[in-house]
Amino acid sequence: MAKTDKKYGAELSQREAEEIREAMKRASTRLMDEYITRMRRAWPNRPDVMQYFDDIAMLYGTRERELLEAKEEGRKIVGYTCMFAPIELILAAGAIPVRVACGIYDAVKLGNRIVPVEVCPVVRSTIGIGMVGLSPFLELSDALITALTCDGMTKLSEILSDKKPVWTLCPPRLKDSPQSTQFWREELKAVKAKLEKLTGTRITAKRLKSAIETMHRATRAFKRLQEIRRNIPSVIMGRDAMLVNQTVMWDDIERWTAKTEELCLELEKRVREKVWACQPDTPRVMLAGSPAIWPDNWKLPNIVEEASPQGVIVADEFCFGDRFLYDPVGVDEWTMDDMFNAVSERYLLPSTCPYFTSEDGNEDRINWLTAMIKERRVDGVIYHVFRGCMLYAMEYMRIKRALDRINVPIYYLDTDYTREDVGQIKTRVEAFLEMLKSRVEL
Amino acid sequence: MWLQILSEILKLTVFAGLTLAGILVIIIWKRDLKTKVTYMRFLVQAAAMVAFYLLFSYTTELLFVLVVIFLLSIFWGRFFCGWLCPFGFYMDLVAALRKTLKIRYWNLQDGLNKILDKFRYALLALFVFLPFMLGEIEPWQWPLAKFLAGPFKPISVLLSPVEPLVIPWESTIKVYGVNLSYPYASVIAFYSGESYALLCISIFVALTLASSFVVRRFWCRFCPTGASFSVLNRFKPFRWIPLLRLNKVEEKCTKCGICKRVCPAQVTDVYEQKGGDIKTSMCMLCLRCVELCPYEDCLRLNLAGKTIFKSRNWLEPSKIE
Repeated sequence: MAKTDKKYGAELSQREAEEIREAMKRASTRLMDEYITRMRRAWPNRPDVMQYFDDIAMLYGTRERELLEAKEEGRKIVGYTCMFAPIELILAAGAIPVRVACGIYDAVKLGNRIVPVEVCPVVRSTIGIGMVGLSPFLELSDALITALTCDGMTKLSEILSDKKPVWTLCPPRLKDSPQSTQFWREELKAVKAKLEKLTGTRITAKRLKSAIETMHRATRAFKRLQEIRRNIPSVIMGRDAMLVNQTVMWDDIERWTAKTEELCLELEKRVREKVWACQPDTPRVMLAGSPAIWPDNWKLPNIVEEASPQGVIVADEFCFGDRFLYDPVGVDEWTMDDMFNAVSERYLLPSTCPYFTSEDGNEDRINWLTAMIKERRVDGVIYHVFRGCMLYAMEYMRIKRALDRINVPIYYLDTDYTREDVGQIKTRVEAFLEMLKSRVEL
Repeated sequence: MWLQILSEILKLTVFAGLTLAGILVIIIWKRDLKTKVTYMRFLVQAAAMVAFYLLFSYTTELLFVLVVIFLLSIFWGRFFCGWLCPFGFYMDLVAALRKTLKIRYWNLQDGLNKILDKFRYALLALFVFLPFMLGEIEPWQWPLAKFLAGPFKPISVLLSPVEPLVIPWESTIKVYGVNLSYPYASVIAFYSGESYALLCISIFVALTLASSFVVRRFWCRFCPTGASFSVLNRFKPFRWIPLLRLNKVEEKCTKCGICKRVCPAQVTDVYEQKGGDIKTSMCMLCLRCVELCPYEDCLRLNLAGKTIFKSRNWLEPSKIE
């Protein structure tokens, strides 16, 4: 296909794109710097290991250079937009997985040139960075794995196919039936074949096993960190934990694992020495709903943890956060067949994406939320919804009814990729936190 | 005379081998925490096989043995099938061989599996009432006890899976004075007559070995003995009786499907059921699902209401050891 023959028009001229990119890069870098400084300020005795995650979080820094070097060495980079993309298979094929969906506010305005403003801002923002080549991960990836989940993601994969080869995965809407599992397995088989073709490496049982074990180690480190977050009072601020959880999506996974273990060691020491990150009566908040994505959409975490009264985020229900590494791949027999089944089922069955439905009304998600609320001893839930995110918005009532039964307050907060409503949201969140604080019993 | 000595030596080698295997199992168990229940089960199964051999060498009252096993199974359910049954042990060994060869297994379709589960009751009925169908003996004229000890011995059919490879009584296959046997061998020998016995038995052995190589625990899916163990669990008034129960906490479950995939009997109830005790007669309580469930406290084994074993985050090494 010729380069000019784009399905979704709105071409920017080369010069214009470059200008916008440079301006946005500068703005974004400044913003990331500011956010990291604010995180440092909110947590005075921040462990030194966090410096590493700060470095990785700087999108135009260390990691971009590393990816460039890897690419020069001939390694392939595979981007993905949804957490349905099988990381194990990407790793086994010798490619580097990076997540490309993004949270850059300014890019939304570029996205508006192609899709209407009613569309989910994550999608618009990803379209925007694609237009100007802002995200290093999207630019460097050799292929994209997208999942046809919500309407936004479905059309996003079409729009991105103007730029990169896009491999779509179609998760079945009902996940329980045997035919769904079978269908999903076939989908992954197709992606596996494409991955093998791209990298020229056959995914053997040995390679897949080592990839699964790599992810097991990452999950183990992740679970260890989450276990630490259960402490009352919290020894880690929620924003920092969220940053750690999100960096795994573009970092080198083994290095991330080692650094997270290091962080856990430090934090476990603090638990023993009783060095808390916040006051014992700080309300423990869980964020649910549409994902808050680094860097720009750090609005809500910032507001919650800098509000007065301050809250601490102890859990989130984001596919860009706690859910990403929550489920390990459970292999019964280390045969190629069983490993592949295990990987494919791990990505389909435990997912609590609101895209799925079932006869019992997405009971899995309710169970996940209630179990999480009990485990992390959450005081209240903030239900974060983007304007245009129908699936999360429409499931709110279902969640609210379920949480009413276990007497946990939930607050509906709809927002967009904009900085204009910061003050207003701050007021609303502070009112909610104050209510929570009056409920906290020591 | 020296044949006897040879058989004694053979017995001793078997015992020594089992002890060594036990030590090996413990070593592997310590190294590989994720599969500890499986190794433990192998150990228990091997020990049970030896125990059955000893049991049979002390008593030939099969009726007595069967009654004891039945009475125990009222409280155990099919724990017997998963952990003690020697026939199950052979099938597990075949599966272990397949695992080391890294060959895939086949799953039966869920529907077929459920039909086989029902089929076991038909088999049970057939075995129990077969003697009555054969006209010339007229068993209804006999006292019940005499009938049970009679030539057709439905007990021996029901007890057949329990037969160890070496038995202390006369059998059809004799190698150097050692009476070899295999589950159902004596029954087949009885029904097929002297001349065809060996052929029939070898066909049966080959078939069961091959089927359990391809499908995990194939025989257990329609074994009539299993039906007799689980028959009490099927009737509501008796549901409170079993002491051992597999229990699921719905909230902790993320429906990741691991329990469904790893189950050697392809039980889907653990996955589908919304919490509570698992009641299906297909479950053999082999605890593979509990072992591989990655969520803390989600699946557990209750003994009289007290949790004795539960699922945990197996990515972390256990704190108990």
